[in-house]
Amino acid sequence: MTKPVELPQGTLEMLILKAVSLGPLHGYGILLRIQQISGERLEILQGSFYTAIYRLERQGWIEGEWGESENNRRARFYSLTAAGRRQLKAETAKWADMAAVVAGILNAKADEV
Amino acid sequence: MNLLNAIRKRWCHLASRTPSDVEEEFRSTLDAYQQDLIRQGFSEEEAHRKACIDLGRLGTQNERYRDAIGLRLFDELSGDLRYGLRALCRNPRFAVVAVLSLALGIGATTAMFSLIYAVLLHPFPYAGADRIMNPAIVNEQHPDEPQWFPLNQAQFDIMRRTAPVDSLLGFNNSHMEITGGGLPEAVFGVYLTENAGSFFGVRPLLGRNIEPADAEHGGRAVVVLNYRFWQRRFNGDPHVIGQTLELDHASYTIVGVMPRSFAFNDTTGTGDVYLPSSLMRSIANVPYMAYIPWIKLRPHVTLAAANSALEPIVRQFAKEDPRRFPDHWHLALQPIVVPYRQQTGRTLTLLLAGVVLLLIIGCANCSILLLARGRSRRHELAIRSAIGASRWRIVRQLLVEAVVISCTGAILGVAASYWLARLPLLLSPDSFPAEAVIRVNAPILAFSVALALLCGVLFGLVPALRLSHNASARILPGRQTGVVAAPAKHRWSVLIAAQVALTLLLMATAGTAIRSFLQLMQVPLGYDPTDVMSLGIMLHVHDPGEWGRRIRLHDVRTAYIEQIRASIASVPGVSTVAVGTDATPPYTGAESSLVIDGNADGEQPQARVMMVGPEYFAALRIPVIQGRIWNTDENFRGDFIAVVNRAFAARYLSSSNVLGRQIRLPGLTSQNRFAAVSTQSTAWRQIIGVVGDARNDGVDHPVAPAIYVPYSALMQPYAQFLVRTQGDPLTYLHSIRAAIASVASDQEVSKGASPLSDAIQRDTQYSRQRLFSILFGIFSAIALALALVGIFSIVAYSVAQRTTEFGVRLALGAPRAHVLWVAARIALVSVATGVVLGLACDSFLGAVLAHWMQNAFTAGSLFTAAALLALSALFACLLPARHAITVPPAEALRYE
Repeated sequence: MTKPVELPQGTLEMLILKAVSLGPLHGYGILLRIQQISGERLEILQGSFYTAIYRLERQGWIEGEWGESENNRRARFYSLTAAGRRQLKAETAKWADMAAVVAGILNAKADEV
Repeated sequence: MNLLNAIRKRWCHLASRTPSDVEEEFRSTLDAYQQDLIRQGFSEEEAHRKACIDLGRLGTQNERYRDAIGLRLFDELSGDLRYGLRALCRNPRFAVVAVLSLALGIGATTAMFSLIYAVLLHPFPYAGADRIMNPAIVNEQHPDEPQWFPLNQAQFDIMRRTAPVDSLLGFNNSHMEITGGGLPEAVFGVYLTENAGSFFGVRPLLGRNIEPADAEHGGRAVVVLNYRFWQRRFNGDPHVIGQTLELDHASYTIVGVMPRSFAFNDTTGTGDVYLPSSLMRSIANVPYMAYIPWIKLRPHVTLAAANSALEPIVRQFAKEDPRRFPDHWHLALQPIVVPYRQQTGRTLTLLLAGVVLLLIIGCANCSILLLARGRSRRHELAIRSAIGASRWRIVRQLLVEAVVISCTGAILGVAASYWLARLPLLLSPDSFPAEAVIRVNAPILAFSVALALLCGVLFGLVPALRLSHNASARILPGRQTGVVAAPAKHRWSVLIAAQVALTLLLMATAGTAIRSFLQLMQVPLGYDPTDVMSLGIMLHVHDPGEWGRRIRLHDVRTAYIEQIRASIASVPGVSTVAVGTDATPPYTGAESSLVIDGNADGEQPQARVMMVGPEYFAALRIPVIQGRIWNTDENFRGDFIAVVNRAFAARYLSSSNVLGRQIRLPGLTSQNRFAAVSTQSTAWRQIIGVVGDARNDGVDHPVAPAIYVPYSALMQPYAQFLVRTQGDPLTYLHSIRAAIASVASDQEVSKGASPLSDAIQRDTQYSRQRLFSILFGIFSAIALALALVGIFSIVAYSVAQRTTEFGVRLALGAPRAHVLWVAARIALVSVATGVVLGLACDSFLGAVLAHWMQNAFTAGSLFTAAALLALSALFACLLPARHAITVPPAEALRYE
């Protein structure tokens, strides 16, 4: 296992939106998918995980619906709403911008300045 | 609480997920995680434990949910609220004192605010009342006495079409009487132009308003009743619409009844009945065919613009009829509320200042109580702080408790204010518009809720900050069992000092008010009002028969009045009867200009002219100083003689040779065709006597120069009698009515028979002073009580806290007096500071108050108040401090 990465504040919501955008998932499923995509490198603070889900649902970016899970249990499946899709797009763009700027600064060499 | 629950439910509804829903979802996640862990090789028990550690416990999930969607603050607040209420119930004595101290302040402030709202902000029931103007003519020589001017029909039409005028109301008053059946009864009629309904915009209680169609065919004979008249005459009969009312021998159909709040109008007299003004021309015999105007301006027209637009028109009217206008004048539209604002604005401001002081004292008292109680709550707060409560959380808890107290106080206060607001109206009815209705409404409720919250924060903040300060540093000091000296710093000593100073301020104001009222009561009146009453009769000048024609003759009228006078005088128990038209003190006569022989200098003399009979001076016990009073023959003739008062002689005549001087009253005539004037009423009159000064311009104003002439010089269509009796004059009213009926069976007595002592009590200045002394007396008594309760409880609490200390002191042999001094010391010092502070404030405020009241503080009333306050504060200190020395030392040491 490679070294775990700590998540900057506020990015958890973005990751949840991304995870849900790939198809409806229940809460635990979202957690698993994020860990899976990250190559098990993200250790999500479990306590804050549901807080983030509740907040996203309250904002109307994701919506939950009761359904049947893979092991035949009742579970709440979340899917992205139209507003959520817009939000995800905006957040992704913002993140890419910021990352590019920060990376640009960090990669600068003496003769480029 | 219910309200909060309702809001919370609504919020939960928005949240859309029930607690069981949230729990079920979380449980399924926990289970799935647990299964994974078991698959990874954990035992079932370990897997469960790890799942709970990683994801959190099931029971706290709902809390997390509510936190996430922003409900947490709400949950905590309602918890604080419940806790605060429970804390109050646990300590009922504290609760009652705190709630009552606020209820008094909030109640009084709300009452005063609703009074101000009713009287100054919203006194009239009329639509667009703020745009209704009274056009006044300001005489530039006497600018404080604005005059009104009547318009004739043509002028009225011109003014109605002026640009800034939205609509124009014309009215005219007439004394009428109900005829045809039973005893005749005098009523006050007001003719209104037929646009009255839309002008006022007041919905009638029954039937309809006067409307434009009433002007058809020279005016329909219809009448709208005033509420009070309807109650009095028809006992509030709901089926009165359609009935007939006979006024001055003409029949009118009753078409409407106005609501209670409609009492048009306060300035010239509230009408009993309202009639269409077209009738003035056809049926009625109104003396002047004229309209007094009320102007409703178009919206957004400024006063200045309206004044400048109307002034040239009124100038034109003045040219047409210069006699009605002074030499130098300008037009000033006056909002109809202005007369009240001038009269009562000052009164109400002063009273408001009083109640606000009371409120501040109440708040200070609550702060003191909370601080005192807080000492016993330190333990609780330390625990809360130790288990992780933030300072803000503790401050909030304490503030919520304070707001609980203030809101409970506000509820009681608002309920009480409903009655409290009526108190000034009862004590001084003539100072307020009759149409002002006091009711609890939305602005007033909003005011008191805001006030309650403000008070809660105000008095809760100091204790909250003080108690939460360093709560965590004192981590569980344990119950303080050792001997602890009182902490050096006492916030409450500042509060007590402030409270005492403010109380002293209120007491000194009350003292001043009471003193000036007492002074007013001792003012020499110059006449004797006891056992004298005034009653009036209307002469039947409108009688269509022979009598109506004859009574207009001068000699017939004089003889008739004299006959009735003699008949009243013959009633057993009646000692003197005098005719005195418009000569009922303390306001008598009309200001008129006159000419004095040989006075050629620039001053234009003015004096009150009173039409009286020769018995007037005996009836009122006004002494004759020089010369004589006219005899019966001279009285019948009415001309060539006059009597003046001492003020007149001193002002206009060198007092040496007053008798024999000649004066002339050019205004002693009338255009009223129903008035009867003697042949030479405006000719020269010789002064034959000088009488003492009797108050004629209200009890608080100096006596104005006055001239008395025989009443037969100018007789209005009514006459007034002053009747001196043995004992209460009102008990003679029945036999007096009978005596009058023996002269003429259809002669009614006007409703306004009233003793002269009542007239003094109705005097504005008198009733205002009485209002001040009573209300400020009550305010200062409440303030004193509050301050004493504050002092008492602070000493009682500190004595209870320091029982052990006192026990040790006594056991070690401290003298009892010393222990008593130690117990009471801090409170006494702050009381003394407060008194000194109060005295300093008062001497500064004395100058300010002199502006509001007749006379400012005097050293006498100030020191009396200070001494009274200091003495009662001493008792309030010593009473609980006594406990410190009555505790047996052994028991005190065993305490706790």
